Amino acid sequence: MSLGESLPMLDAEERVTGRINYTLNIEAPAMLVGKILRSPLPHARIVRIDITRAQKLSGVSAVLSRDDFGPHTAYSGRYGRIFRDQTVVTLDKVRFVGDPVAAVAACNEDTALEALSLIDIDYEELPAVFDEGKALEPAAPLVHDPRPQQQPIFSRMIEDLPGGTNLCSHFKLRRGDIELGFRQADFVFEDTFRSPAAQHVPLEPHVTVAQYARQKLTLWTSTQMPHAIRAQMAELLNLPLARVRVIVETLGGGFGSKGSLRLEPITAFLAVKAERPVKIILSREEEFVTVCKHPATMRIKTGVMKDGTLVARQVSAYFNTGAYSDIGPVVARNGGSAMSGPYRIPHVHIDSRAVWTNTVPAGALRGFGVPQAVWAYESQMDMIAERLGFDPLEFRRRNLLRDDDVFATGEELTDIHFQDLLDHAAASIDWSLEDARWLTRDPTAAKNKTLRRGKGVAMVIKATITPSTSAAAVKLNEDGSLNVLTSSVECGQGAKTVLAQIAADAMQVPVSRVSVSDPDTELTPYDQQTSSSRTTYSMGGAIREAVSDLKRQLLDCAAEHLEASVSDLIVEDAKVMVHGAPKRSLAYAEITRLSNQANLFGRGAFTTRGGLDLQTGQGIGSVHWHQGAIGCEVEVDIETGKIKILRLTPCVFAGRVVNLRLCELQLEGCAIFGLGQALFEEMTYGEHGQLLNPNLSDYNVPSFADVPLKINADALEHAGSEELHGIGETLLPPVMAAIGNAVYNAVGVRLQELPLTPEKVLRELHKQDPADSHSGTMKG
Amino acid sequence: MKQIVKLKVNGVEDEKAVQTHHTLLEVLRAEYKLFGAREGCGIGMCGACTVLLDGQPMSSCILLAALAEGKEITTIEGLSDPGKLHPIQQAFIDHNAFQCSYCTPGFILSTKSLLAENPDPTADQVRSYLAGNLCRCGSYYKIEEAVLDAAVRVRNKKDNL
Repeated sequence: MSLGESLPMLDAEERVTGRINYTLNIEAPAMLVGKILRSPLPHARIVRIDITRAQKLSGVSAVLSRDDFGPHTAYSGRYGRIFRDQTVVTLDKVRFVGDPVAAVAACNEDTALEALSLIDIDYEELPAVFDEGKALEPAAPLVHDPRPQQQPIFSRMIEDLPGGTNLCSHFKLRRGDIELGFRQADFVFEDTFRSPAAQHVPLEPHVTVAQYARQKLTLWTSTQMPHAIRAQMAELLNLPLARVRVIVETLGGGFGSKGSLRLEPITAFLAVKAERPVKIILSREEEFVTVCKHPATMRIKTGVMKDGTLVARQVSAYFNTGAYSDIGPVVARNGGSAMSGPYRIPHVHIDSRAVWTNTVPAGALRGFGVPQAVWAYESQMDMIAERLGFDPLEFRRRNLLRDDDVFATGEELTDIHFQDLLDHAAASIDWSLEDARWLTRDPTAAKNKTLRRGKGVAMVIKATITPSTSAAAVKLNEDGSLNVLTSSVECGQGAKTVLAQIAADAMQVPVSRVSVSDPDTELTPYDQQTSSSRTTYSMGGAIREAVSDLKRQLLDCAAEHLEASVSDLIVEDAKVMVHGAPKRSLAYAEITRLSNQANLFGRGAFTTRGGLDLQTGQGIGSVHWHQGAIGCEVEVDIETGKIKILRLTPCVFAGRVVNLRLCELQLEGCAIFGLGQALFEEMTYGEHGQLLNPNLSDYNVPSFADVPLKINADALEHAGSEELHGIGETLLPPVMAAIGNAVYNAVGVRLQELPLTPEKVLRELHKQDPADSHSGTMKG
Repeated sequence: MKQIVKLKVNGVEDEKAVQTHHTLLEVLRAEYKLFGAREGCGIGMCGACTVLLDGQPMSSCILLAALAEGKEITTIEGLSDPGKLHPIQQAFIDHNAFQCSYCTPGFILSTKSLLAENPDPTADQVRSYLAGNLCRCGSYYKIEEAVLDAAVRVRNKKDNL
């Protein structure tokens, strides 16, 4: 009944009146303000730290430093999702500019800031390394020495390696015989592509409020992973899970930044020490040094036959995971395993590495490694098409994966719709053969114009995290209304609305009779995380299971009172009735009363299975594959190098759409997010490893002035594909390559390093044909 | 150092002792518990802290509270009475013109000021007026639809008065 309806968000009124509660608004009685002291150096040993002056300042309740951790205390202070390479505050050495060294809890912000200035530290500077390539040279300084301990739970996903290197992880995928493939190929092309560090910039920064009383920690925190936070905080504080409570309000954006532990450890230990609640809100500048998108270098070598059939691909990928690995090894694995793209390639050989450096820690960012991968392989697809004189779309069509094809991971694919997606993307920009620059019949046609147009496409195949687990509970109340208990986090994607629609549909009640909870680990069942475009599919599945469980109880109870057998009963319109005798029916409310339990609980879990072999990358990479294509048209000003996006048309395979309007918002959001990374978003570092643009004046994100007049988002549904597909991030990864390909078709400039700034475009235009450009101010 | 200032927030005048270096945003949140204006960048670039000062949109994160004395300060909470939405707010709901909605109060207040200056804006005028409000979730198209629709609703409402 409610599935497929474009309902407005159920909490829309609170959102437009400014009354919706973010963690930013949370206050606790006697709450203190926490502030963090950060390292000014990229790599240095702390020789001495003296907090006595800060402690003595009036209004200061606690100063947290390395003295609070280690063998002489109850706390190791070490944590990390894959490697225990991070510490609550610096214990031995700082590893990037911005690394938290100490923290203060005080009566107000001014006092806390003054106290930070009273902490004395002597550093012994160490040589630092910032680049993922240089970090692997034999003489490179080691970011971590000895090698940090790996969390056993990840041993089947990430291979542990010997120490003495900055190589954090090494994912391998081996399919077919790569040497044979290159021998068979008529042509082999090798190209290198780079993506820089970029920021998530959720408008709400990270915020945590921590309260510790009677050996119980309560956290209100802006996280996408309440249960993972609970588990890691329990370990840090030596507490049972039951004594760590994590409550999450709606997020003011996340985009992957609000996973893993961020502010929770430092805020919690301040609260323990101060014996009062503490709140920390990150400033925008601190946001920039907390987590970012992985800079990545991808070397990609592709073997192809004369007729355009792909036969072999070898990839060497380096993901710069910064000073702390966070989830970096899994990002490198996810980006690496996607590098054969949506194409049939019999011989594939991939090495994808995460590398420690003295830069801001990199983690999950919408797309999870796949944006870096698609930027490389879809740019190269157009380069190869040109070298062989093919239409780039025809070249793709010839190689697209279809149903029953085997993917690079060895899994047989079903429900594959790339042909259709490519056709949609092509039609949406009115692609014709002549749109490929090298196939244009009259190459001089646009010669005299200063504004030149070009079109491009790019495609993506992306995994959703597999295996994974979501659990849900539903509570049928005395009046027949339904509470859905779930730990899925609302971050603006409309999760609560979509899950309410799924629950209402399964339970046969109106959405107005359903309420979906916020996550509270004390009350709501386990969920792995709100990420990887998994909530609609996975939590939706868990809720459907929970409703089935509830319905079984309703039917059993109704059967007894209606004196009918369960098999004769049907559920419809908030009632259980005897088939063929609609008058013999009981409303849900009556059944709850007759059950003598006042309310009834249904429980459900949804688990997917899979995983890839450590040595070969073979196995099940994804329970189902997310598929997309995007078309783009640009206009490039050859006098300024500025790129204007005229059209951007994301097309996704959506399975069954639950709420089209929310789906469109996600697709438009992906396109705009990608546009920023394509055109201008880049965190730039100075020579001493300090970030040069950690603010929204020097680091721009797309505004109304940057976006095309219209984005035609398309969510494809296919008859017979009833499965729900997540769409939250699928269409971000191909945006950069689609724009890059369109720019090439417009002006013949092929940039292999993002972002595509006017300066770079102009420089290349000058190199290409100085007479072609009118401006004489820059020489290549 | 504190200073007594007379602030008129959402129609109510009140004396407050504020730190001379505290911004209007800090005072609205800490003293008034009005949470609709939010810090996004802290340097007046993102528009999430927008309030109206005598009807003009201002970044409250870079305006000292003391300098707002004598002005009419309107926050999102003062735009409508509970249960009775302003037509702009209703248009934002009807078009689902937000995702995380952290930026929404800023967009709505800027829209109010736009429509006061220009009751019948073109799409281009909407875009250029709202270019100082950032929506990181990228809901711009739904926002544009909502603002153009809101313009019609506000005009109709005036005609009916």
